[in-house]
Amino acid sequence: MLVIVQVLIFGRIHLFDCATPLLYIYFVLSFGEAYPRWVVLLWSFAMGLCVDAFANTPGVATSSLTLVGFVQPYFLRLFVPDDAGGSFAPSLKEMGSLKFSFFSGVLLMLFCIVLFSVEAFNFFDWVQWLLCIGGSWLITFMLIFTIESVRR
Amino acid sequence: MRNLLDFLARYYNWFLFVMLEVISCLLLFQYNSYQGSVWLNSSNAVTGKVLEASSDIESFFALSKVNEQLTLRNFYLERQLEQLRRLYADATADTIKADAGQMELLNRYKLVSASVVNSTLDRHDNLLTINRGAADGIEPDMGVVCGLGIVGVTYMVGEHYTVVMPVLNTRTRISCIIRGRGYFGFLKWDGKDPSIAYLEDVPRHARFKKGEWVETNGYSSIFPQGVLVGRILQTYNSRDGLSYRLKIHLSTDFGNLRNVCVIADKSLMESSRLLEAARDSLRQSAAR
Repeated sequence: MLVIVQVLIFGRIHLFDCATPLLYIYFVLSFGEAYPRWVVLLWSFAMGLCVDAFANTPGVATSSLTLVGFVQPYFLRLFVPDDAGGSFAPSLKEMGSLKFSFFSGVLLMLFCIVLFSVEAFNFFDWVQWLLCIGGSWLITFMLIFTIESVRR
Repeated sequence: MRNLLDFLARYYNWFLFVMLEVISCLLLFQYNSYQGSVWLNSSNAVTGKVLEASSDIESFFALSKVNEQLTLRNFYLERQLEQLRRLYADATADTIKADAGQMELLNRYKLVSASVVNSTLDRHDNLLTINRGAADGIEPDMGVVCGLGIVGVTYMVGEHYTVVMPVLNTRTRISCIIRGRGYFGFLKWDGKDPSIAYLEDVPRHARFKKGEWVETNGYSSIFPQGVLVGRILQTYNSRDGLSYRLKIHLSTDFGNLRNVCVIADKSLMESSRLLEAARDSLRQSAAR
């Protein structure tokens, strides 16, 4: 569902020629603690493959999404409160807006950096590269935040 | 084995991650032309360097063979140069067309390349041993040369090794000619300096200069014409005052000698045997 939305709508948006909403990262972010690590990894890989297949850039999103999928459980563990009981899922209402913003912001930033670096594969036009990272991060973050707020 | 399995089981997430990343990288490099070309270029550079290093090592081990081939080649080329020089001199001085068959002369000589396994420099009668013998077609009284010039004559031949009497032996007598002049003498060694020999019995009416080259004249059946011997350093009078004695700086470096060629040419030996047979028959008829 998310893939279709991403591919058909969000993938086509290039605000100011640099910002692309990358909503599919939300899928990876929202994996709860209950999922074993390898499940998260495989799902993020699959997601990346689908997005890449539609966007005709094989490997770009796959590699970056797999990386985020690997890091996400580690990172999530930092935010789990002690009385969670083993089924903690990251969301705005459970973590509070500040923590959630931090969590999603950092992971999103990592994802953007890796994605655009792999896509460009050189640092020739580093200004454009930085702009892409910054712009996409901003717009995706806003989208995620909005959706989370609505879900509450 | 179990430790390995335990290790794998404990870190399976890492391995899964690495495997998935490798797959995505493969996809990346294969289907995206820019990334693929960057990968190709850098991997080409790396493989290029590794292959270059390995070929350097291989070529180092092949150096001895290359050395042997070069010695042979050197010898052929020197002879060819000599022939060409003569032909050119004939052609420019004379309008008679040069005999093309002269060039075939060079290919007549069967050369056997060998390495020096033992040698002495400091004795009165030095001998050196080479690693070829009767099994390779060597016989006594064959000429031995190297890339730089003359070495000596085979003395005693075994099945796989041969003892060579080099120029640095007081018993050596090799017939040599001064290049371009035509005057010849006999090369002898006095037993002192291994880089100096003396050309004796050069007639007093001979004209020559210091620094001119001395080479074999082909009169003996052992060496073909034109094998380099050395350069004239100084002129002395002979002991009896009837001829000149030239001090020759030998072109061959006997201290450094490693690769040599034996001139295993049967046709040369044929002429020497014929000459010996003729002398014997003359002696016999004189005795009768």
